[in-house]
Amino acid sequence: MSIEVKDLSFRYGKIVALDGVSMRLGEGAVGLLGPNGAGKSTLLRILLGFLVPEHGEGRVLEYDIRRDRAAIRRSVGYMPESDCFVAGMDAVSFTAYFGELSGMPRREAMKRAHEVLFYVGLGEARYRLLDTYSAGMKQRLKLAQALVHDPRILFLDEPTSNLDPTGRAEVLELIRDIATKNSVQVILSSHILDDIESVCDSVVILNKGRLAAEGRMEDLRAIHYSLYEIRVKGDEESFRRALGEAGCRVDETEDRLLKVYLPEGADPMDVFRAAARTGVQMRSFVKSRTSLEDLFAGVVGVD
Amino acid sequence: MAVIRERGYEHWDGRLTERRFPWWPIARTGVRLAFRKKGFKFAFAGAYIPSFVALGGLYVSERLDDFKALVQSNRALIKIDPAYFADFYTNGAFLFMLVLVLAFGAAGLVAEDLKHSALQLYFARPLSRKDYVSGKLAVVAFFVLALTALPGLILIAFKLIFAGSFAFLAQYPWLPFSVLGYGALLTLFFGGYVMLVSALSRNTRYVIVLLFGSFYFSAVLAEIVRGIFRTPYAMLFSLPADVRQVGAALFGAKLPQDVSPILSFLVLAGICALAVAVLVRKVRGVEVIK
Repeated sequence: MSIEVKDLSFRYGKIVALDGVSMRLGEGAVGLLGPNGAGKSTLLRILLGFLVPEHGEGRVLEYDIRRDRAAIRRSVGYMPESDCFVAGMDAVSFTAYFGELSGMPRREAMKRAHEVLFYVGLGEARYRLLDTYSAGMKQRLKLAQALVHDPRILFLDEPTSNLDPTGRAEVLELIRDIATKNSVQVILSSHILDDIESVCDSVVILNKGRLAAEGRMEDLRAIHYSLYEIRVKGDEESFRRALGEAGCRVDETEDRLLKVYLPEGADPMDVFRAAARTGVQMRSFVKSRTSLEDLFAGVVGVD
Repeated sequence: MAVIRERGYEHWDGRLTERRFPWWPIARTGVRLAFRKKGFKFAFAGAYIPSFVALGGLYVSERLDDFKALVQSNRALIKIDPAYFADFYTNGAFLFMLVLVLAFGAAGLVAEDLKHSALQLYFARPLSRKDYVSGKLAVVAFFVLALTALPGLILIAFKLIFAGSFAFLAQYPWLPFSVLGYGALLTLFFGGYVMLVSALSRNTRYVIVLLFGSFYFSAVLAEIVRGIFRTPYAMLFSLPADVRQVGAALFGAKLPQDVSPILSFLVLAGICALAVAVLVRKVRGVEVIK
């Protein structure tokens, strides 16, 4: 296991950010999914040693998160969510600088900086001052500095935020390419389901600081429930109550669409029976495709 | 922005090493970035003007017969002794140039990193807070020592060259140590002071104003307090006066204020202690608001 945490808890004052999270992450690209405030960034920051957990323990590679912070940081590349750079520097000096701070010899760091900047698509702009970079370029630059020392694990915190669709596709392609190298494990934290779905082999879903689901993508995609999207006319409250009594979970979207999660083995006709019983008129009944979005909605709730 | 990527991701085949001085790249980069700033080179060069004036004084002191007309009225001014060095180091122009260089070269050391959220990049590396602060402090140390210890030692060397003997050094053998000690004291004080002010704001311009303002406003405040309470201890409020007081004590010169230099030293040490407290709070990989 490359990352293992046990009963990890952390709070910002009275706000609980992580509440007894335990998980084991193996090889391949892993998506860290959850709505804003779920605890994804806090988890990454604890793994990097920026924050000290209140309870629990953890290991990154073979290193303890409390004791071996320097060793972890030497082995990990971190791409933060927010824009960050050193003013007055150009991209190549900046990337080489952080390579050097990771422990690379100065000349090697400079050579490698050129390579990774070409790799992330900033080769032509590598001598430009960072203050003049666009949001997309800064995003690529953050990836370059995370890669410069050739880490064994790459922590990417919302890597596609602030990017236009083209830039997003290009950055995801880079991450996919890195993730295909067996020796670099990618941990991608995002609230964008498509990003996780297109890059990751397995996913960890956090919600309100707790572990909501964890596993390989294909296993999680396997249907443990059926999802139906329904529109009804009539006494909606009674209908929802009847579905609840039948063991179904019902969420309502903003446009009054009911998302009904039928438990494994339940008969879809139960929905019609509940409608008949409560006297509501079924206007639409569509079986939804099962995807990560459904899983996410199933464990986190409809946004 | 075209993607130029003919090959996929490639590994680096080198080995990461544990640095003996992890702060060294921070220090080197900090100095280099300061010299890239517009006008800084001129400010830095200008800060050597008091040194050249002092060098001129040294030359004149050894050629008194050639400059009779110049020194006729005040021969004491050209007497080269530790007090001459104390005057050189504590005069208003010298301190002003020193603060000017630090304001333009070092004010953004922490402020810029806070503004651009760069701290998380530093601390995602095998660096401790001590390494980070040491690296930034080394930048201040470079400028302070370059403007204090270096010219001081060069002035002593020139005095010996102009005199053609070691008599001056034999008379004041502790003078080079005073120069180094004063350089170290200013490094510690200005290191703490600059880092303290730099960590208080994300805006470098505010930091520059604060650096100058608090340094010189403290002198104004001290004069006001002295005017009201008629006590020499009021001058402890003045940072320039404290620097002068400790400097004079280090060079064995007449103290400009009627208070113990130890008290002045304690005031300067207090600024450094405050800096440590603020830096511990501000310099973190992630900003935690509880």
